[in-house]
Amino acid sequence: MHAPRPTTINPKLVSAGLAIVASLALGVTAALAGTARESGDPGITDGTVLLGGTAPLTGPSASYAAVAKGAAAYFRYVNARGGVNGRKILYKVADDGGSPAGAAVATRQLVEQDRVFALFNSVGTDTNLAVREELNRAKVPQLFVASGATTWGRDYAQYPYTTGFQPSYRAEGSVYGKYLARSARGATVAVLFQNDDFGKELLGGLKRGLQRSRARVVAAQPYDEAAVDVSAQIARLKASGADTLAIFATPAHTIQAYQAAARLGWKLARVVNSSGGAASTTMSSAAVGQNRLVAGTVSIAFLKDPADPQWKRDAALRLYSSVMAQYAPGADAGDLMHLYGMAAAWTAVEALRQTGRDLSRESLRKTVDAFTAPGDPFLLPGIVVKTAGADHYPIEQMLLRRWQNGAWRSFGGLWSTTGS
Amino acid sequence: MTRATSRTLLGFAALAVVVFALPAFVNDFRAQQFAYVGIYLIALTGLNILTGYTGQISLGHGAFMAIGGYTTAILMNDHGVKDILTIPVAIIVCGIAGLLFGLPAARLSGLYLALATFAIAVSIGAVIKKFDGFTGGGSGINLFGIPTLTASLTPLHILGFELNFNNWLYYLSWSVALLGYVIAWLILRGRTGRAFRAVRDSETAAVSFGVGLSSTKVLAFGISAAYAGAAGALFAIATTYVNPDTFPVALSIFLLVGVVVAGLGSLTGLIAGAIFIQFLPLWAQNVSKSPGAPAVVYGAILILVVLALPGGVSGLIARIARQVRRASVFPKP
Amino acid sequence: MGAFFQQVVSGLASGGIYGSLALALVLIHRATGVINFAQGEMATFSTYILWTLTTNHGVSYWPAFAITLALSFLGGVGIHRAVIRPVERSSQIRVVIITIGLLLLLNGLMTWIWTGQVKQVSSPFPGGTVEAAGVVISWQDIGTIVVSVVTVAVLWAVFRFTKVGLALRAAAVNPAEARLVGVRVSWMLGLGWGLAAVLGAIAGSLAAPTLFLDPNMMQAVLIYAFAAAVLGGIDSPVGAVVGGLMLGVGLNLLGTYVDFVGADLRLPAALLVILVVLLVRPAGLFGKPQVKKV
Repeated sequence: MHAPRPTTINPKLVSAGLAIVASLALGVTAALAGTARESGDPGITDGTVLLGGTAPLTGPSASYAAVAKGAAAYFRYVNARGGVNGRKILYKVADDGGSPAGAAVATRQLVEQDRVFALFNSVGTDTNLAVREELNRAKVPQLFVASGATTWGRDYAQYPYTTGFQPSYRAEGSVYGKYLARSARGATVAVLFQNDDFGKELLGGLKRGLQRSRARVVAAQPYDEAAVDVSAQIARLKASGADTLAIFATPAHTIQAYQAAARLGWKLARVVNSSGGAASTTMSSAAVGQNRLVAGTVSIAFLKDPADPQWKRDAALRLYSSVMAQYAPGADAGDLMHLYGMAAAWTAVEALRQTGRDLSRESLRKTVDAFTAPGDPFLLPGIVVKTAGADHYPIEQMLLRRWQNGAWRSFGGLWSTTGS
Repeated sequence: MTRATSRTLLGFAALAVVVFALPAFVNDFRAQQFAYVGIYLIALTGLNILTGYTGQISLGHGAFMAIGGYTTAILMNDHGVKDILTIPVAIIVCGIAGLLFGLPAARLSGLYLALATFAIAVSIGAVIKKFDGFTGGGSGINLFGIPTLTASLTPLHILGFELNFNNWLYYLSWSVALLGYVIAWLILRGRTGRAFRAVRDSETAAVSFGVGLSSTKVLAFGISAAYAGAAGALFAIATTYVNPDTFPVALSIFLLVGVVVAGLGSLTGLIAGAIFIQFLPLWAQNVSKSPGAPAVVYGAILILVVLALPGGVSGLIARIARQVRRASVFPKP
Repeated sequence: MGAFFQQVVSGLASGGIYGSLALALVLIHRATGVINFAQGEMATFSTYILWTLTTNHGVSYWPAFAITLALSFLGGVGIHRAVIRPVERSSQIRVVIITIGLLLLLNGLMTWIWTGQVKQVSSPFPGGTVEAAGVVISWQDIGTIVVSVVTVAVLWAVFRFTKVGLALRAAAVNPAEARLVGVRVSWMLGLGWGLAAVLGAIAGSLAAPTLFLDPNMMQAVLIYAFAAAVLGGIDSPVGAVVGGLMLGVGLNLLGTYVDFVGADLRLPAALLVILVVLLVRPAGLFGKPQVKKV
């Protein structure tokens, strides 16, 4: 599987004066030999297929590594039941430390050293952006990246080997916009957003959703990911006199935003909060001290939340709990990120299954190019993972939910949007 | 030629042979990892001139690398300049940036200087994001597949040999690293090097010998930043992508860690420092993958190394060399 | 005008947190002559102890707080004995690198033990707010500002009036002579680390109800605390707290009233201002300028 190392080098040659030129030549032949002996695509044998992914196992965003853990557990479960098309799925996760430079190195290691068949569900936006060009040039599928940036779907024509997974941030933002336009005519919206693609695209989507309605954005304040807290921004937003707050932030800053708004005595008619900062644990923390702003918050969902009592008897979530208990012992099954990884893994298994026994990078790309995978049990009922023609946003449906009595409760029907 | 000089030259020659032979013994991907070792070696050489030889602590060399990396990326992407031609430009741009920063910084001493340089490392990301029309903001600049990047799509043919991207990166970064190493040695053994050491050992004595304190410090800053610029340029080329997170605050910190592990005020251990920065995190990951565990391993090893090796790896090598010499002077009967 | 004072008040509250961590940095600097990169992680670690005691073991707040301070003190002394003392006489930079190693180790340890998930720490202050002239301030913020000011007053009194305080200062300023007059210098420096850990624990406990607890809670704060300590003069406890408050207010006003700076360039702009201050007063606003014989 690995590039064979030359074993026939005469050590005396190296120590001789000719060493520089000679070994340079040997190095090159060895490198070429490594690629020439492959038949078919790397990472596939009769009994296995090797997927790789990068995740921040270390560093400040290490909690996102749970995504990869959930996926790994599901693959092991599938393998214990015979794998897919007679092949077991091997899944190797490499650390990117959350940085694009780390992702570039780790991805090259997966592709060139471990010789993975495809990349799957690597975590993050910058990290996936850093390797997209390279993977597409090498025709290595970059499947179901764990990021909601719009570019995965938008730039599909240019990068046909790259596919997103979750609803794009713009799509999510536009659902909030449409919801406010419909249910709160004349709302004045103040927006706290993280100063990167995540926050900016949510804001852009929100504005798009509010078009042609009387509700409008009256103030928007960015904050930096590394900011200590956001109380200064919240104070400025409050000064705008808005009656609605939209929080497009990561968990810690989301909680701070709720707390700061409450501390300032901001009387808000409603709050919307991006799904990135809306895990049940986050909301419970934010609600501490009888924070009245938290109850009634609206957010979107596309996954079944293990903390939602509604799914207590759901077959898929029972399966989720038992898979976690068996294949990821010690991990917190209440962490939605594990479920996210499992939902993505289900989709990957389905893509491999539909591609069939005759598996190649090209045939897998073709499957994902026009792909319909209904019935991912970990997604909310009715959501279909689908790509077709120019539309390469796999998940474009979501439910709205409201935080009530310490839990999320969904309301209304599925909202369908376009990812762009 | 003195015996010490000829021994050093012999050392350089041996090093060059090992470096050029290495790709023959490792696979393609390792060659790329060793390319990063070469890149770190350049940055550490520069940082050691400033911190080890002149006694000025810098916690901001990652920022100078960022300036070099962005210089290269912008020239390659927007202006169609071939990658290797951007390296000298990055060196000059960073050298000037270093001199400009050195002018006020030379007035600061000790920890105030360390914190002022740290401030640069902390700030650079936000500044890059602010000028996004120029730098691509948070999304950064992609270099892979653009025509100015050598060997990324088709192998490079040179002198009848074929080099793929990883091997090309390896030879490019190590050529620059070895050149930089020799230049550093030449600078440090001459008048300038003596002035640097005089400032480090005693500012009072340095002044009484007629060494201009602030001009010497500013010069050390400039030279050191120029090295960081070369390293940053190569880092951008090797990573084929730059954005603010490509040069995090941690990079500045790890460069200082590398130089202390290598041994301050000596060039012999620098490669070990570069290997430490590149490989220890990877190795720590292999020990345990549970969240947080690699950082525990890394931190513990770092502490142990600093406790066990007072002079860094250079000090260890010097000690071994002394013992070997003593053994050969008094051969066993 | 209400908006202006609101930003000032909110800045004072953030500044109180920066100042209280800066105080810990100053103490270590006085004891060992270095900047402690692990100070933020030490503070966060202490806060996790507080969280474990109150949430998992049902200890009520004040006893838990007292136990936390005591354990932090022991931890600080222990760190000094184990990894700082062996190198503290060799060179500053090696001690700095050790503290970087500690930073990594403690951060990893916290992630390992308590996972990266955000945790909520209870607050000793009442939950409500008070409003005066259109400016709203919470009891939490008032408490933070008051505690940081009181802490520095107590510290100042200890250094000024007690024997231990005198010995601490003597050990830091002139270890050789202190030893001659019978001060056990090494233990005094350990005491400095212990006290710094206690101050860090206070800073962490003050910050946690607002910032919420995760392993990286104090990392960003540490950068502001560095800036605060430098601004005030890295040897001056009073300077640290005043520097912290000035920094908190300054950052908010810069972000609000200077359009180019906005929210995204707040930190770089503030650091630039501090750099300029340093050039005019190289020892910070409250530090005593060192007399250099050149």
